[in-house]
Amino acid sequence: MLLIDADVHESFAGIRDLVPYLKEPYREWIERGAWRGFSQPFAYTSPGAGNRADVRNADGSASVSDYGVMRRQLLDTYNQTYAVLTGYFYPTMLKLQYGLSSALAAAYNDYVAEHWLAKDKRFIGSIQINARDPEAAAREIDRMAAHPQIKQVMLPVVDDIAYGHPMYRPIFEAAERHKLVIALHHTILAEGPFGMGLHYIERHTLLPTSMMAEVISLILNGVFDGYPSLRFIILEGGFSWLPHLMWRMDREYRQGRVEVPWVKKLPSQHMRERLRFSTQPAEDLTGDQWLKLIDLMGSDEFLVFSTDYPHFDFDDPRVSIPRSLPDDLQEKIFWKNGAALYGLEAPVQ
Amino acid sequence: MTRHRVCGVSEVASNAMKPFAMGRGTVLLTRLPSGEIKAVGSRCPHQGANLEHGCVTGHAYSDQPNVLLMDRPGQILRCPWHGFEFDLSSGESVADHGKLRLRRFNVEIEGDDVFIVM
Repeated sequence: MLLIDADVHESFAGIRDLVPYLKEPYREWIERGAWRGFSQPFAYTSPGAGNRADVRNADGSASVSDYGVMRRQLLDTYNQTYAVLTGYFYPTMLKLQYGLSSALAAAYNDYVAEHWLAKDKRFIGSIQINARDPEAAAREIDRMAAHPQIKQVMLPVVDDIAYGHPMYRPIFEAAERHKLVIALHHTILAEGPFGMGLHYIERHTLLPTSMMAEVISLILNGVFDGYPSLRFIILEGGFSWLPHLMWRMDREYRQGRVEVPWVKKLPSQHMRERLRFSTQPAEDLTGDQWLKLIDLMGSDEFLVFSTDYPHFDFDDPRVSIPRSLPDDLQEKIFWKNGAALYGLEAPVQ
Repeated sequence: MTRHRVCGVSEVASNAMKPFAMGRGTVLLTRLPSGEIKAVGSRCPHQGANLEHGCVTGHAYSDQPNVLLMDRPGQILRCPWHGFEFDLSSGESVADHGKLRLRRFNVEIEGDDVFIVM
Protein backbone atom coordinates (compact mmCIF):
# COMPACT_ATOMS: atom_id res chain seq x y z
CA MET A 1 0.00 0.00 0.00
CA LEU A 2 1.14 3.54 -0.77
CA LEU A 3 1.95 5.45 2.41
CA ILE A 4 2.51 9.10 3.31
CA ASP A 5 3.93 9.82 6.75
CA ALA A 6 2.85 13.38 7.53
CA ASP A 7 5.06 14.04 10.55
CA VAL A 8 8.71 13.04 10.52
CA HIS A 9 11.22 14.98 12.59
CA GLU A 10 14.59 15.44 11.00
CA SER A 11 17.22 17.20 13.06
CA PHE A 12 20.73 18.52 13.17
CA ALA A 13 23.29 17.13 15.61
CA GLY A 14 23.82 20.52 17.20
CA ILE A 15 23.24 24.21 16.62
CA ARG A 16 26.75 24.59 15.21
CA ASP A 17 25.65 22.55 12.17
CA LEU A 18 23.88 25.73 11.07
CA VAL A 19 27.04 27.89 11.11
CA PRO A 20 27.91 27.37 7.42
CA TYR A 21 24.42 28.47 6.43
CA LEU A 22 24.09 31.51 8.68
CA LYS A 23 24.61 35.06 7.53
CA GLU A 24 26.69 37.48 9.53
CA PRO A 25 26.65 38.67 12.23
CA TYR A 26 24.72 35.62 13.41
CA ARG A 27 27.26 33.14 12.05
CA GLU A 28 29.86 34.66 14.34
CA TRP A 29 27.42 34.73 17.27
CA ILE A 30 26.71 31.01 17.01
CA GLU A 31 30.34 30.14 16.27
CA ARG A 32 31.50 31.70 19.51
CA GLY A 33 28.72 30.04 21.52
CA ALA A 34 26.62 33.16 22.12
CA TRP A 35 23.52 30.96 21.97
CA ARG A 36 23.40 27.19 22.38
CA GLY A 37 19.96 26.48 21.04
CA PHE A 38 16.62 25.78 22.64
CA SER A 39 16.28 23.66 25.73
CA GLN A 40 12.95 22.33 26.87
CA PRO A 41 11.63 23.70 30.19
CA PHE A 42 10.95 20.19 31.51
CA ALA A 43 12.54 16.75 31.68
CA TYR A 44 11.46 13.98 29.34
CA THR A 45 10.40 10.83 31.16
CA SER A 46 10.54 8.34 28.29
CA PRO A 47 13.45 5.83 28.12
CA GLY A 48 14.90 7.60 25.07
CA ALA A 49 14.59 11.08 26.60
CA GLY A 50 11.95 12.28 24.19
CA ASN A 51 12.98 9.99 21.32
CA ARG A 52 12.57 6.29 20.69
CA ALA A 53 15.35 4.69 22.68
CA ASP A 54 16.27 2.48 19.72
CA VAL A 55 17.11 5.39 17.42
CA ARG A 56 20.84 4.87 17.67
CA ASN A 57 23.93 4.74 15.53
CA ALA A 58 25.87 1.51 15.10
CA ASP A 59 28.12 2.50 18.00
CA GLY A 60 25.10 2.85 20.29
CA SER A 61 25.11 6.62 20.44
CA ALA A 62 21.76 8.38 20.22
CA SER A 63 21.06 9.73 16.76
CA VAL A 64 18.15 11.73 15.47
CA SER A 65 20.23 13.56 12.87
CA ASP A 66 21.38 10.62 10.76
CA TYR A 67 19.67 10.07 7.44
CA GLY A 68 20.94 6.50 7.24
CA VAL A 69 19.33 5.58 10.54
CA MET A 70 16.04 7.15 9.50
CA ARG A 71 16.10 5.46 6.13
CA ARG A 72 16.64 2.07 7.72
CA GLN A 73 14.27 2.43 10.67
CA LEU A 74 11.49 4.33 8.97
CA LEU A 75 11.50 4.80 5.20
CA ASP A 76 12.59 1.29 4.27
CA THR A 77 11.12 -0.65 7.19
CA TYR A 78 7.65 0.66 6.43
CA ASN A 79 8.16 1.09 2.70
CA GLN A 80 7.10 4.70 2.94
CA THR A 81 6.17 6.40 -0.31
CA TYR A 82 6.68 9.89 1.08
CA ALA A 83 7.76 11.24 4.45
CA VAL A 84 6.97 14.86 5.29
CA LEU A 85 9.84 16.44 7.20
CA THR A 86 8.56 18.80 9.86
CA GLY A 87 11.64 19.56 12.00
CA TYR A 88 11.61 20.29 15.68
CA PHE A 89 13.78 23.39 15.52
CA TYR A 90 11.33 26.24 15.45
CA PRO A 91 12.98 29.69 15.56
CA THR A 92 9.63 31.32 16.43
CA MET A 93 10.29 30.09 19.97
CA LEU A 94 12.94 32.81 20.27
CA LYS A 95 10.95 35.68 21.72
CA LEU A 96 13.39 38.46 20.99
CA GLN A 97 16.19 39.17 18.51
CA TYR A 98 13.98 38.68 15.48
CA GLY A 99 16.90 39.11 13.08
CA LEU A 100 18.67 36.14 14.64
CA SER A 101 15.48 34.10 14.61
CA SER A 102 14.80 34.79 10.93
CA ALA A 103 18.44 34.02 10.06
CA LEU A 104 18.22 30.73 11.97
CA ALA A 105 15.09 29.78 10.06
CA ALA A 106 16.79 30.47 6.73
CA ALA A 107 19.94 28.60 7.78
CA TYR A 108 17.92 25.62 8.95
CA ASN A 109 15.99 25.52 5.68
CA ASP A 110 19.25 25.49 3.72
CA TYR A 111 20.69 22.84 6.04
CA VAL A 112 17.64 20.60 5.56
CA ALA A 113 17.68 21.08 1.80
CA GLU A 114 21.30 19.90 1.61
CA HIS A 115 21.45 17.26 4.33
CA TRP A 116 17.96 15.76 4.09
CA LEU A 117 15.87 16.66 1.05
CA ALA A 118 18.75 16.13 -1.37
CA LYS A 119 19.38 12.64 -0.04
CA ASP A 120 16.01 11.06 -0.70
CA LYS A 121 13.24 11.90 -3.14
CA ARG A 122 10.75 10.40 -0.71
CA PHE A 123 11.20 13.42 1.55
CA ILE A 124 8.68 16.25 1.37
CA GLY A 125 9.98 19.47 2.87
CA SER A 126 8.54 22.17 5.14
CA ILE A 127 9.66 25.77 5.35
CA GLN A 128 10.65 26.91 8.82
CA ILE A 129 9.98 30.57 9.56
CA ASN A 130 10.22 33.16 12.29
CA ALA A 131 6.51 33.88 12.61
CA ARG A 132 7.14 36.81 14.96
CA ASP A 133 8.35 38.80 11.95
CA PRO A 134 5.64 37.95 9.40
CA GLU A 135 7.15 40.05 6.59
CA ALA A 136 10.51 38.30 6.99
CA ALA A 137 8.68 34.99 7.21
CA ALA A 138 6.93 35.75 3.92
CA ARG A 139 10.26 36.52 2.29
CA GLU A 140 11.64 33.21 3.53
CA ILE A 141 8.61 31.40 2.13
CA ASP A 142 9.16 33.16 -1.21
CA ARG A 143 12.83 32.14 -1.14
CA MET A 144 12.28 28.48 -0.39
CA ALA A 145 9.02 27.78 -2.23
CA ALA A 146 10.69 27.01 -5.55
CA HIS A 147 12.35 23.89 -4.12
CA PRO A 148 10.56 20.99 -5.82
CA GLN A 149 10.22 18.95 -2.62
CA ILE A 150 8.85 21.81 -0.51
CA LYS A 151 5.10 21.51 0.04
CA GLN A 152 4.29 23.30 3.28
CA VAL A 153 5.02 26.02 5.82
CA MET A 154 5.39 25.13 9.50
CA LEU A 155 3.52 27.31 11.99
CA PRO A 156 4.90 26.45 15.42
CA VAL A 157 2.42 26.56 18.27
CA VAL A 158 4.03 28.45 21.14
CA ASP A 159 2.57 30.02 24.25
CA ASP A 160 1.81 33.53 23.06
CA ILE A 161 0.67 33.41 19.42
CA ALA A 162 -2.80 32.69 18.08
CA TYR A 163 -2.33 32.83 14.34
CA GLY A 164 -5.70 34.39 13.57
CA HIS A 165 -4.34 37.80 14.59
CA PRO A 166 -4.18 40.09 11.54
CA MET A 167 -0.45 40.67 11.96
CA TYR A 168 0.29 37.15 10.65
CA ARG A 169 -1.50 37.66 7.31
CA PRO A 170 1.73 38.03 5.26
CA ILE A 171 2.55 34.41 6.13
CA PHE A 172 -0.78 33.18 4.79
CA GLU A 173 -0.55 35.39 1.72
CA ALA A 174 2.86 33.91 0.90
CA ALA A 175 1.75 30.34 1.52
CA GLU A 176 -1.31 30.79 -0.67
CA ARG A 177 0.78 32.48 -3.36
CA HIS A 178 2.96 29.38 -3.58
CA LYS A 179 0.18 26.82 -3.04
CA LEU A 180 1.77 25.57 0.17
CA VAL A 181 0.00 23.78 3.00
CA ILE A 182 0.01 25.41 6.46
CA ALA A 183 1.04 22.88 9.15
CA LEU A 184 0.62 23.55 12.85
CA HIS A 185 2.82 21.64 15.26
CA HIS A 186 3.37 22.09 18.97
CA THR A 187 6.72 23.19 20.38
CA ILE A 188 8.36 22.79 23.75
CA LEU A 189 6.65 26.06 24.70
CA ALA A 190 3.07 24.98 23.89
CA GLU A 191 0.71 25.09 26.85
CA GLY A 192 -2.82 24.40 27.94
CA PRO A 193 -5.13 27.11 29.25
CA PHE A 194 -3.46 27.11 32.67
CA GLY A 195 0.08 26.53 31.58
CA MET A 196 1.88 23.21 31.34
CA GLY A 197 0.71 21.81 34.67
CA LEU A 198 3.17 20.40 37.17
CA HIS A 199 4.24 17.26 35.32
CA TYR A 200 5.36 16.36 31.82
CA ILE A 201 2.37 14.04 31.49
CA GLU A 202 0.08 17.01 32.13
CA ARG A 203 1.83 19.12 29.54
CA HIS A 204 1.70 16.35 26.95
CA THR A 205 -1.99 15.66 27.61
CA LEU A 206 -2.79 19.36 27.25
CA LEU A 207 -1.25 19.77 23.79
CA PRO A 208 -4.52 19.25 21.87
CA THR A 209 -6.06 22.21 23.68
CA SER A 210 -3.45 24.50 22.15
CA MET A 211 -4.42 23.18 18.71
CA MET A 212 -8.09 23.77 19.42
CA ALA A 213 -7.24 27.37 20.30
CA GLU A 214 -5.38 27.80 17.02
CA VAL A 215 -8.24 26.40 14.94
CA ILE A 216 -10.71 28.68 16.73
CA SER A 217 -8.45 31.68 16.17
CA LEU A 218 -7.79 30.95 12.48
CA ILE A 219 -11.42 30.41 11.52
CA LEU A 220 -13.09 33.13 13.57
CA ASN A 221 -10.54 35.77 12.61
CA GLY A 222 -11.16 35.15 8.94
CA VAL A 223 -8.04 33.31 7.79
CA PHE A 224 -10.05 30.50 6.19
CA ASP A 225 -12.31 32.99 4.42
CA GLY A 226 -9.52 35.39 3.51
CA TYR A 227 -7.32 32.74 1.87
CA PRO A 228 -9.81 30.43 0.21
CA SER A 229 -7.31 28.11 -1.47
CA LEU A 230 -5.13 27.65 1.61
CA ARG A 231 -5.25 24.26 3.31
CA PHE A 232 -4.22 23.40 6.85
CA ILE A 233 -3.05 20.35 8.76
CA ILE A 234 -2.84 19.89 12.51
CA LEU A 235 0.17 17.73 13.33
CA GLU A 236 0.43 15.67 16.49
CA GLY A 237 -2.43 17.53 18.08
CA GLY A 238 -4.97 14.72 18.27
CA PHE A 239 -8.18 14.52 16.28
CA SER A 240 -10.76 12.83 18.50
CA TRP A 241 -11.72 16.28 19.79
CA LEU A 242 -12.79 17.41 16.35
CA PRO A 243 -16.51 16.49 16.59
CA HIS A 244 -16.79 18.51 19.77
CA LEU A 245 -15.12 21.54 18.21
CA MET A 246 -17.29 21.36 15.10
CA TRP A 247 -20.48 21.18 17.14
CA ARG A 248 -19.38 23.85 19.56
CA MET A 249 -18.19 26.28 16.90
CA ASP A 250 -21.27 25.79 14.76
CA ARG A 251 -23.50 26.48 17.72
CA GLU A 252 -21.45 29.55 18.65
CA TYR A 253 -21.58 30.72 15.04
CA ARG A 254 -25.36 30.37 14.80
CA GLN A 255 -25.80 32.53 17.89
CA GLY A 256 -22.86 34.89 17.47
CA ARG A 257 -22.29 35.31 13.73
CA VAL A 258 -23.16 39.01 14.02
CA GLU A 259 -19.76 39.63 15.64
CA VAL A 260 -17.74 37.87 12.93
CA PRO A 261 -19.72 38.20 9.68
CA TRP A 262 -16.50 37.90 7.67
CA VAL A 263 -16.84 34.18 8.43
CA LYS A 264 -19.10 33.08 5.60
CA LYS A 265 -19.57 29.40 6.35
CA LEU A 266 -20.33 27.22 9.30
CA PRO A 267 -16.99 26.49 10.98
CA SER A 268 -17.56 22.77 10.51
CA GLN A 269 -17.88 23.33 6.78
CA HIS A 270 -14.58 25.22 6.70
CA MET A 271 -13.00 22.34 8.61
CA ARG A 272 -14.34 19.63 6.34
CA GLU A 273 -13.19 21.45 3.24
CA ARG A 274 -9.79 22.75 4.33
CA LEU A 275 -8.50 21.26 7.58
CA ARG A 276 -6.70 17.94 7.99
CA PHE A 277 -5.19 16.10 10.95
CA SER A 278 -2.25 13.78 11.30
CA THR A 279 -3.16 10.59 13.12
CA GLN A 280 -0.34 10.22 15.65
CA PRO A 281 -0.79 9.85 18.59
CA ALA A 282 -3.70 7.65 17.58
CA GLU A 283 -4.90 7.12 21.18
CA ASP A 284 -5.15 3.34 20.78
CA LEU A 285 -8.72 3.42 19.54
CA THR A 286 -10.45 0.20 18.57
CA GLY A 287 -11.69 -0.29 15.02
CA ASP A 288 -15.26 0.38 16.13
CA GLN A 289 -14.18 3.56 17.85
CA TRP A 290 -12.42 4.75 14.69
CA LEU A 291 -15.54 4.20 12.64
CA LYS A 292 -17.79 5.93 15.17
CA LEU A 293 -15.41 8.87 15.33
CA ILE A 294 -15.18 9.25 11.57
CA ASP A 295 -18.96 9.08 11.37
CA LEU A 296 -19.19 11.90 13.93
CA MET A 297 -16.65 13.93 11.97
CA GLY A 298 -18.89 13.66 8.93
CA SER A 299 -16.00 12.96 6.57
CA ASP A 300 -13.41 10.27 5.99
CA GLU A 301 -11.05 12.81 4.42
CA PHE A 302 -9.80 14.47 7.60
CA LEU A 303 -7.08 12.04 8.63
CA VAL A 304 -3.55 11.66 7.28
CA PHE A 305 -1.31 8.98 8.72
CA SER A 306 1.81 9.98 10.65
CA THR A 307 4.44 8.26 12.78
CA ASP A 308 6.13 11.18 14.57
CA TYR A 309 9.45 9.36 14.10
CA PRO A 310 11.85 9.49 15.93
CA HIS A 311 9.91 10.71 18.95
CA PHE A 312 9.02 8.39 21.79
CA ASP A 313 5.30 8.37 21.12
CA PHE A 314 5.87 7.00 17.59
CA ASP A 315 2.95 5.22 15.89
CA ASP A 316 3.73 2.06 13.94
CA PRO A 317 1.66 2.07 10.73
CA ARG A 318 1.18 -1.69 10.99
CA VAL A 319 -0.46 -1.47 14.39
CA SER A 320 -1.73 2.00 15.20
CA ILE A 321 -4.40 2.03 12.48
CA PRO A 322 -6.63 -1.04 13.05
CA ARG A 323 -6.50 -3.55 10.23
CA SER A 324 -10.22 -4.11 10.78
CA LEU A 325 -10.98 -0.76 9.13
CA PRO A 326 -12.40 -1.07 5.60
CA ASP A 327 -9.72 -1.17 2.90
CA ASP A 328 -10.90 2.02 1.22
CA LEU A 329 -10.76 3.89 4.53
CA GLN A 330 -7.24 2.63 5.22
CA GLU A 331 -6.23 3.73 1.75
CA LYS A 332 -7.56 7.21 2.46
CA ILE A 333 -5.73 7.49 5.78
CA PHE A 334 -2.44 6.08 4.54
CA TRP A 335 -2.40 7.62 1.10
CA LYS A 336 -5.28 9.41 -0.58
CA ASN A 337 -5.97 12.10 2.00
CA GLY A 338 -2.32 13.09 2.25
CA ALA A 339 -1.77 12.86 -1.50
CA ALA A 340 -4.72 15.20 -2.08
CA LEU A 341 -3.47 17.63 0.56
CA TYR A 342 0.08 17.85 -0.77
CA GLY A 343 -0.69 17.29 -4.44
CA LEU A 344 1.37 14.10 -4.59
CA GLU A 345 1.14 11.26 -7.04
CA ALA A 346 2.40 7.75 -6.75
CA PRO A 347 6.00 7.61 -7.97
CA VAL A 348 6.63 5.98 -11.31
CA GLN A 349 8.34 2.66 -10.65
CA MET B 1 -57.87 26.95 2.41
CA THR B 2 -59.07 29.14 5.26
CA ARG B 3 -58.61 32.82 6.01
CA HIS B 4 -58.29 34.26 9.50
CA ARG B 5 -58.55 37.96 10.19
CA VAL B 6 -55.88 38.64 12.77
CA CYS B 7 -55.68 42.45 13.07
CA GLY B 8 -56.00 45.80 11.40
CA VAL B 9 -53.22 47.02 9.11
CA SER B 10 -52.39 49.93 11.41
CA GLU B 11 -51.77 47.56 14.33
CA VAL B 12 -48.70 46.00 12.69
CA ALA B 13 -45.46 47.69 13.72
CA SER B 14 -42.02 47.96 12.15
CA ASN B 15 -38.98 46.73 14.10
CA ALA B 16 -41.12 44.62 16.43
CA MET B 17 -42.78 41.22 16.46
CA LYS B 18 -46.37 41.81 17.55
CA PRO B 19 -48.46 38.82 18.68
CA PHE B 20 -52.01 38.25 17.52
CA ALA B 21 -54.32 35.41 18.35
CA MET B 22 -55.13 33.05 15.54
CA GLY B 23 -57.50 30.30 16.56
CA ARG B 24 -55.97 28.73 19.64
CA GLY B 25 -52.48 29.79 18.63
CA THR B 26 -50.47 32.95 18.20
CA VAL B 27 -48.94 34.45 15.12
CA LEU B 28 -46.33 37.24 15.06
CA LEU B 29 -46.64 40.07 12.61
CA THR B 30 -44.10 42.67 11.60
CA ARG B 31 -43.80 45.27 8.89
CA LEU B 32 -40.67 45.27 6.75
CA PRO B 33 -39.12 48.60 5.70
CA SER B 34 -40.72 48.06 2.29
CA GLY B 35 -44.11 48.18 3.95
CA GLU B 36 -44.76 44.50 3.37
CA ILE B 37 -46.33 42.67 6.31
CA LYS B 38 -44.81 39.35 7.31
CA ALA B 39 -46.35 36.71 9.57
CA VAL B 40 -44.34 34.01 11.32
CA GLY B 41 -44.85 31.42 14.03
CA SER B 42 -44.24 32.59 17.56
CA ARG B 43 -41.77 29.87 18.52
CA CYS B 44 -38.12 29.70 17.53
CA PRO B 45 -37.42 26.52 15.51
CA HIS B 46 -34.29 25.96 17.62
CA GLN B 47 -35.55 25.54 21.19
CA GLY B 48 -38.98 27.12 21.13
CA ALA B 49 -38.29 30.55 22.62
CA ASN B 50 -41.11 33.06 22.26
CA LEU B 51 -40.04 35.21 19.33
CA GLU B 52 -42.30 38.03 20.45
CA HIS B 53 -39.38 39.04 22.63
CA GLY B 54 -36.88 38.79 19.79
CA CYS B 55 -34.92 41.63 18.32
CA VAL B 56 -35.70 42.94 14.84
CA THR B 57 -32.46 44.23 13.46
CA GLY B 58 -30.32 44.47 10.34
CA HIS B 59 -27.98 42.06 8.62
CA ALA B 60 -24.37 42.12 9.80
CA TYR B 61 -21.90 41.61 6.97
CA SER B 62 -18.25 42.12 6.18
CA ASP B 63 -15.49 40.90 3.92
CA GLN B 64 -12.77 42.24 6.17
CA PRO B 65 -11.99 41.02 9.69
CA ASN B 66 -12.67 43.56 12.41
CA VAL B 67 -14.84 45.73 10.14
CA LEU B 68 -18.54 45.35 10.94
CA LEU B 69 -21.17 46.61 8.51
CA MET B 70 -24.96 46.45 8.55
CA ASP B 71 -27.49 46.42 5.75
CA ARG B 72 -31.11 45.36 5.36
CA PRO B 73 -32.34 47.15 8.52
CA GLY B 74 -35.50 45.75 10.03
CA GLN B 75 -35.30 42.50 8.05
CA ILE B 76 -33.56 40.14 10.47
CA LEU B 77 -35.15 38.64 13.57
CA ARG B 78 -32.88 37.46 16.40
CA CYS B 79 -34.21 34.93 18.88
CA PRO B 80 -34.51 36.32 22.42
CA TRP B 81 -32.69 33.34 23.91
CA HIS B 82 -29.68 32.38 21.79
CA GLY B 83 -29.62 35.16 19.25
CA PHE B 84 -30.06 32.90 16.23
CA GLU B 85 -30.73 35.10 13.20
CA PHE B 86 -33.65 34.59 10.82
CA ASP B 87 -34.34 36.39 7.58
CA LEU B 88 -37.90 37.71 7.89
CA SER B 89 -38.36 37.58 4.11
CA SER B 90 -37.36 33.96 3.58
CA GLY B 91 -37.66 32.62 7.11
CA GLU B 92 -34.22 31.02 6.74
CA SER B 93 -31.48 30.96 9.34
CA VAL B 94 -28.81 33.47 8.30
CA ALA B 95 -25.91 31.41 9.66
CA ASP B 96 -27.12 28.06 8.48
CA HIS B 97 -29.16 28.49 5.31
CA GLY B 98 -32.04 26.11 5.14
CA LYS B 99 -31.35 23.98 8.19
CA LEU B 100 -33.53 26.03 10.53
CA ARG B 101 -36.48 28.00 9.24
CA LEU B 102 -39.20 30.13 10.79
CA ARG B 103 -42.76 28.93 10.32
CA ARG B 104 -44.20 31.37 7.80
CA PHE B 105 -47.79 32.27 6.95
CA ASN B 106 -49.24 33.82 3.84
CA VAL B 107 -50.60 37.30 4.45
CA GLU B 108 -53.40 38.99 2.53
CA ILE B 109 -54.49 42.59 3.00
CA GLU B 110 -58.06 43.50 2.29
CA GLY B 111 -58.96 47.10 3.02
CA ASP B 112 -57.75 47.78 6.56
CA ASP B 113 -57.73 44.12 7.56
CA VAL B 114 -54.84 41.64 7.75
CA PHE B 115 -55.69 38.02 6.98
CA ILE B 116 -53.61 34.88 7.42
CA VAL B 117 -54.27 32.31 4.72
CA MET B 118 -53.77 28.67 5.62
